[in-house]
Amino acid sequence: MVILLIGAMVIPAVTGTYLILSGRGFRAVPEGAANMLSLVASVVTAALVIATVIARPVLNQPWLTSLGVRLHFAVDGISAPLLILTAALSVAVVVHARSRPSHGASPSTFYGCLQLVELGALATFYARDAVIFYVSFEIVLIPMWVLIARYGDSHDLAARRDASGRFVLYTVLGSTLMLIGILALVQASGTADMDALAVLHGAGLSRSTQIIIAALLLVGMGIKVPVWPLHTWLPPAHTIAPTAGSVMLAAILLKMGTYGIVRLVVAPLPIGFGALSPAFAVVGVIGIIWGGLACLVENDLKRLIAYSSVAHMGFVVLGLSSGTTVGLQAALFANIAHGVVSALLFFLVGGLKERWGSADLATARAALREISPRLGIALVVGFAASLGLPGLVGFWGEFLAMYSAWSPAPDRPQGLMRVLVVMAVLGAGVAAAYSLRVLKLIWSGDRTTPAHEDARGGEWSVLAVLVAAVLVLGVAPGLLLNSTFKEAAAITMQVPR
Amino acid sequence: MSQAIVSVNAGILLPVLAPAVGAAVVLVADVAVQQLRRAHYVIALASLVVGALATIAGLSMVAGGARRTLCLPGSGQCMYVADSVASTLQLAALLAAALTLLLTWPDDKKQSTGGTAVIVSLVLAATAGATAVAGARDLGSWLVALELATLPTVALVALRGARSAISGAIALLTTALVSFGLLALSAALWFTATGSGFFTPAAAITAINDPARRPILVLAVVVVIAGIGFKLSLVPFHAWTPEAYDGAPLPIAAFLAGVSKIAALAALLVVIRAIPPGEPSLAAIAIVSAVSMTLGNIMALRQDGVVRLLAWSTVAQAGWVVLPLAAVSTGAVHASGAYLLAYVLATLLVFAVVAALVQIRGAARARDLQEYRGLLADHPVLASALGLGLLSLAGLPPGFLGLVAKVAALGPVVNSQLWLLAVIAAVNAVLGVAVYLRWLLMVVSTPDTSVQGSPDGVPEPVVHGAALVVRAHPATLAAVGFTGVALVLTSLSPQLLLGLLGG
Repeated sequence: MVILLIGAMVIPAVTGTYLILSGRGFRAVPEGAANMLSLVASVVTAALVIATVIARPVLNQPWLTSLGVRLHFAVDGISAPLLILTAALSVAVVVHARSRPSHGASPSTFYGCLQLVELGALATFYARDAVIFYVSFEIVLIPMWVLIARYGDSHDLAARRDASGRFVLYTVLGSTLMLIGILALVQASGTADMDALAVLHGAGLSRSTQIIIAALLLVGMGIKVPVWPLHTWLPPAHTIAPTAGSVMLAAILLKMGTYGIVRLVVAPLPIGFGALSPAFAVVGVIGIIWGGLACLVENDLKRLIAYSSVAHMGFVVLGLSSGTTVGLQAALFANIAHGVVSALLFFLVGGLKERWGSADLATARAALREISPRLGIALVVGFAASLGLPGLVGFWGEFLAMYSAWSPAPDRPQGLMRVLVVMAVLGAGVAAAYSLRVLKLIWSGDRTTPAHEDARGGEWSVLAVLVAAVLVLGVAPGLLLNSTFKEAAAITMQVPR
Repeated sequence: MSQAIVSVNAGILLPVLAPAVGAAVVLVADVAVQQLRRAHYVIALASLVVGALATIAGLSMVAGGARRTLCLPGSGQCMYVADSVASTLQLAALLAAALTLLLTWPDDKKQSTGGTAVIVSLVLAATAGATAVAGARDLGSWLVALELATLPTVALVALRGARSAISGAIALLTTALVSFGLLALSAALWFTATGSGFFTPAAAITAINDPARRPILVLAVVVVIAGIGFKLSLVPFHAWTPEAYDGAPLPIAAFLAGVSKIAALAALLVVIRAIPPGEPSLAAIAIVSAVSMTLGNIMALRQDGVVRLLAWSTVAQAGWVVLPLAAVSTGAVHASGAYLLAYVLATLLVFAVVAALVQIRGAARARDLQEYRGLLADHPVLASALGLGLLSLAGLPPGFLGLVAKVAALGPVVNSQLWLLAVIAAVNAVLGVAVYLRWLLMVVSTPDTSVQGSPDGVPEPVVHGAALVVRAHPATLAAVGFTGVALVLTSLSPQLLLGLLGG
């Protein structure tokens, strides 16, 4: 069964490397073939990922014996949904790219980078050794940097360079701080095994040690999440990246930060995280309001969605900070929900930007409901989910996060948490306002010029599947909540109710 | 010193003897037969390979085990001790020297001053010094070997005869003299403190336990750090580095970045390993490490010439090399060695690619950072190799070796809870990434659409792949190939390299 797990990582690694090296020493792969190869590779990878989620194989081999690092990969209820999300969206970006214009001079590099991003994300979610987690975390960096710097959808070279540079430098700072935290955690606990760390639950670590290590890890991974005020790399990166890059960034890469916080801070450092969680919750809620307010005035649609990510991740932070099983589950649910919704919105906006020539909201456009009903309905569903409408996927994560923060764990300051919940509710109100603003500007109305074609083929199938996911997970959140319940309860050490 | 005859085992000394004998043979051959060129390189490479093979016995030493010779009969102390760390550094120095020779080979044809024999024998002599210092355990051999590793490089830098080469050589010579003075002083202080002519923990412990002699020992270590700091290009002893790198012929700059750095770290480790764990005197290392990284990276960010950029990157990377030594432990010595080897391998690959580009595009273009725009389209294989080298230096995948070296280097710092130093290192990891990605961005970005002529009449390839007007020399391509393959293999399995150090 281990072969499934190895295959799920080797296939994107080999495909990605082959595609990137093609044309350098041997014949280049043309766009159509590169797309087809990527499609086959990501579909097979997705099948293997689903198989590993069902079979739960474990790989545990020594790798760097002198540093005590082991190649330790496994699947559990917390990582399973993220693995499926990664694999599914990796197929989606390739299908979507099929119906879009070509990708510059060397399209095979574009597809190769997407494969390597998938590899890094899968390895991060599979990793059970803390140092391997760090190594996997870094794999996505350079491919994503190339995607933004070379294939970004801005013709302005300086803007692409600035956005990609910021992305890399912020992320490297975050991951190196995280590495220091990981090394300290491993040193203090005597094990790099993330399962063992979770079982130890901070046993034998003094309060001050826990706080120092937790602070390093929270700042390090907070950059990736991103947590206000460390979010300033995100809007340019998401705006400039090509559609596939924006989707991977928002839907998958941000989740690596929150996932890491659950695995490396919440589980192994309960006292340290408890001490820091009021401050963490405060910056999370500031992010909710900050992101929402920015969205109210932002006129670039892609940038607007990027800012809305900051707000949505704020709810994840709030849920984590509550210290309860419900809060942890809310955070994990909101993670996936944001993955689905932001992927839907970035696919939509990427398509619209190509049709419009820009993503400027101030320019008068033809109303989507008049001329392109498919794009229109997907946009309505996406923004409705984004504002947290009950019955859609966005609702459960945010509702449960606020619910859990209203009655947090006993060691959290209840008064502060309740004030924060009130502010988060205000933030949700702002989200409703900006979502309706966007719908009013581009969906409603009766203008029919300038006309553009509706979504068809690959683009429409990707949008339809994501819309379906928004509806299904909205109606039946138990699918996901049941998957994470056992592990979440174990982490928060609460007896299952 | 005892009058008794020391025991000599030539087999154990072979990593030192082989390049030394090679140098002598080259000089004799040059006298016997005029106008030899290829033969000198063959002799030299053969002697380096013999030396490298001779290190293998020492590589497999378990912790604590070592091959000893030149032992004094009475005390049982040995002047030459090759354990796994020393043998690994010797192997690295010998291979790096071989690569330097491969890079010098095509350069040699243009050389009027300083015949082949001189250059080859100087490289071999310096290499013999580097391998000797790794094994040296007594003050005398240590000092002599370290100078043997240094002084030939001054001549190598100067031999080109250009004005910039002379100023680089003068900077290097001045530095070498000051450094020698400091090292001689430190040796004297060590002898005063310990009463022993050997760098051994036993000698150090007697001095540490005596309050009167302890400060002298601490001073000796601090002066050693200063003296070696010159050779490792640590701030504030780094000023010669950009001058010498830029003035020297490119292969010699690669030698300074490779073999010379290995010799310097080997010399430092001889002293560091003689200090029992738990001594606080290494705050000095923490400071020079932090300052070197920061200044090196900031200056490297401002360079427009690639050789100067590499020179400042050496300064920054030297800070990373000594970073783990701020914490005294066996793990720190291994981490420092591992980081150095990762750095040397990656930087030699970069130098080899630049050398190939010098032959293809001319020195002016190959040394100008702006000229690397669009390299990926023009020379995809060389550009890919360069990318791997740069990413390894930056410590980012796919340069897993550099990434693992970064993990290894930070480990001892975190274990000793030097949080401030660790955070400074984290910030410098970011600065370092900025330095190397600035170069890499040039390489991967699409070439300018405006057609550029070649102002200095250097022939340049017009069509990529199909019809290269000028091809790089096979020796240079071999150097790119060897380092590239080694870097790929060690990136796939960093344990290959870490294991050498006896982990």
